[in-house]
Amino acid sequence: MKFKYIGVALLCAFLMMNIVFTQFMVHQFYYENYINVLIFGGLNIVVFPLALFTYKKTKNEKA
Amino acid sequence: MPSDKNNKIPFNEDNYTHNIERDNERKLDRRGFMKTLVGAAGVFAISSLPWGAIAAKELMGLGEKEYPHKKITNVSGLPIGDAVEFKFPGDHDDAILIRLSETKYVAYQNACTHLRCPVFWVKEEGEMICPCHHGKFDVETGAPTAGPPRRPLPEIQVKVENGAVYAVRVKRYEV
Repeated sequence: MKFKYIGVALLCAFLMMNIVFTQFMVHQFYYENYINVLIFGGLNIVVFPLALFTYKKTKNEKA
Repeated sequence: MPSDKNNKIPFNEDNYTHNIERDNERKLDRRGFMKTLVGAAGVFAISSLPWGAIAAKELMGLGEKEYPHKKITNVSGLPIGDAVEFKFPGDHDDAILIRLSETKYVAYQNACTHLRCPVFWVKEEGEMICPCHHGKFDVETGAPTAGPPRRPLPEIQVKVENGAVYAVRVKRYEV
């Protein structure tokens, strides 16, 4: 039971990071700091494979 | 197929209509929830692509577009410290040209970056002021210095030729 929801917790954390990065990206875009837009957009894209990997690792987690 | 289902009340079925067999259709288990989360992460990743693309385009300078040069005013008609309003690049894009010294001219699109009120030049105070919410802009760079606006005014590059001032291009033009 202890580790059954670790995958859910990790994925929630990734989604939170997605939200934060997207917010930063959009703000930096309108501030015209285009380097930062690329950085945060890149982070956003990197999080997706991480989430997929986490899902595959933890989907069969037993109680 | 005969079934004694109709003799049981309530029906032991998890669907809306009670006449089709769909086992546990509306159940969201841990794995399904995780799939949703991964899908959402994918949506975030895809949706950041266009922002990155436009940012890259701006960085590479492809967003810089040259408009037909437009005469604003004659040098002799604009004393030092005065401003003149004009339209550039379109007929509805208000802009302002300010002469700061003998040779230094600055020009901005003067729609305030807060709510697009027309920003004007106050000679006595040396500031550009938006009358709607008292936003102020630095005249040298167009950067906001006070009030609600957070983004700089789009700068218009000008050149002086044959005793007249021409607008050449907009540093960044936002619709």
